[in-house]
Amino acid sequence: MQLSIINGSPRGASGNTEKLLSHFINGFMETEGNSVELIHSIGDRPLFEKSKELFLRSKNLLIAFPLYVDAMPGSVKELFEALQECSYKNPDLSLMFMIQCGFPETHHTRFVARYCEKLSSKLGAKFNGTICKGGCEGLSVQPQALVEKVFKGFYQLGKSYGQSGKLDKTLLDKLAYPEQLSHENIKQVIPMVNSFLWDYLLKKNNALDKSFDKPYKL
Amino acid sequence: MKVLFLNGNNQNSSLDNFISFLSKILENRKCSVSELKLRDMKFSPCRGCFNCWVKTPGVCVFKDDGDLICREFIHADLVILVSPIIMGYPSAIAKNALDRVIPLIHPYLEDVAGEVHHMKRYDSYPELALLLEKMEDTDDEDIEIIRDIFQRSALNLQSKLKFLKLTTSSPEEVANAIINN
Repeated sequence: MQLSIINGSPRGASGNTEKLLSHFINGFMETEGNSVELIHSIGDRPLFEKSKELFLRSKNLLIAFPLYVDAMPGSVKELFEALQECSYKNPDLSLMFMIQCGFPETHHTRFVARYCEKLSSKLGAKFNGTICKGGCEGLSVQPQALVEKVFKGFYQLGKSYGQSGKLDKTLLDKLAYPEQLSHENIKQVIPMVNSFLWDYLLKKNNALDKSFDKPYKL
Repeated sequence: MKVLFLNGNNQNSSLDNFISFLSKILENRKCSVSELKLRDMKFSPCRGCFNCWVKTPGVCVFKDDGDLICREFIHADLVILVSPIIMGYPSAIAKNALDRVIPLIHPYLEDVAGEVHHMKRYDSYPELALLLEKMEDTDDEDIEIIRDIFQRSALNLQSKLKFLKLTTSSPEEVANAIINN
């Protein structure tokens, strides 16, 4: 099976979307004969010629992006607009999406996931599912065991997809955990993220004392 | 009331005239109105570097018109995102503008009604509204999807979605929705 991937992350090859994709790809490549072609749409702006060409000649395409203000980044919306001229020109295409967000709960990604399914029909492609995953900000500062679990989830999903051509519902649900958090869990998670991620980065930049600055205040 | 139109129209069209009519009505009804025509402005899409949170708190590192978008946004009482619906969603320029206002919130997370969201940086935030123009392919489901997503965006921007109106409404109807609750 051949799989094409467009990574729409504005951070390109250095972002978390790429890290997660690499584990999905490792799993996918476990099946003999499988091959992957990955491009970064951020390097393909403003005309997105490579992305359009890939859309038109692929049988299986995965479009991956991080959640920006509860939806696709503006630069990914640019890509969707560029793909409009390819609508209904590749009816054999199976289209999938991968959405990751920094919030610990996967729930935040579900709203734009609904859009992605609708977009597939507007593009005249067959919708083959969306991989949703929360808790993906600061993968480099999260406890190693947690990160390994996320990577393993992507690997297993990629492996299963590489064999069947379908995203396994059980694996998708397992990967998406936690979909939402209890009040008790939120109380534990918030101070951890605020100190281990944000305070760490603010201190590194000597900006902790300025963190609540209001530069646009009248 | 201070109303800001973030005009995400991607071309010269009657949508701009709709904003002009609506602005005149609002000014006659004692609103202060300003408009940012996004397609004529120069600003980079957000690159997700988070420097506006951890290096220069509250300000983007790109020195471009994103600065004006943030300034006008935070000083408005109501921000109306105006856009045609392209491929089932407001325009890329409208979304790129919205992505650039994240310096206005704080990176710290907090519990908002049982979900994790970002903390305030400023004392108060404008309400959000959508004024959208349907295209041939737009259906009711598209509108519902957009409404749901922007309710989420508003929640994350310490705001709420006041209304979603289509340009099939008259400017007077939209003005009433702006002024009356």
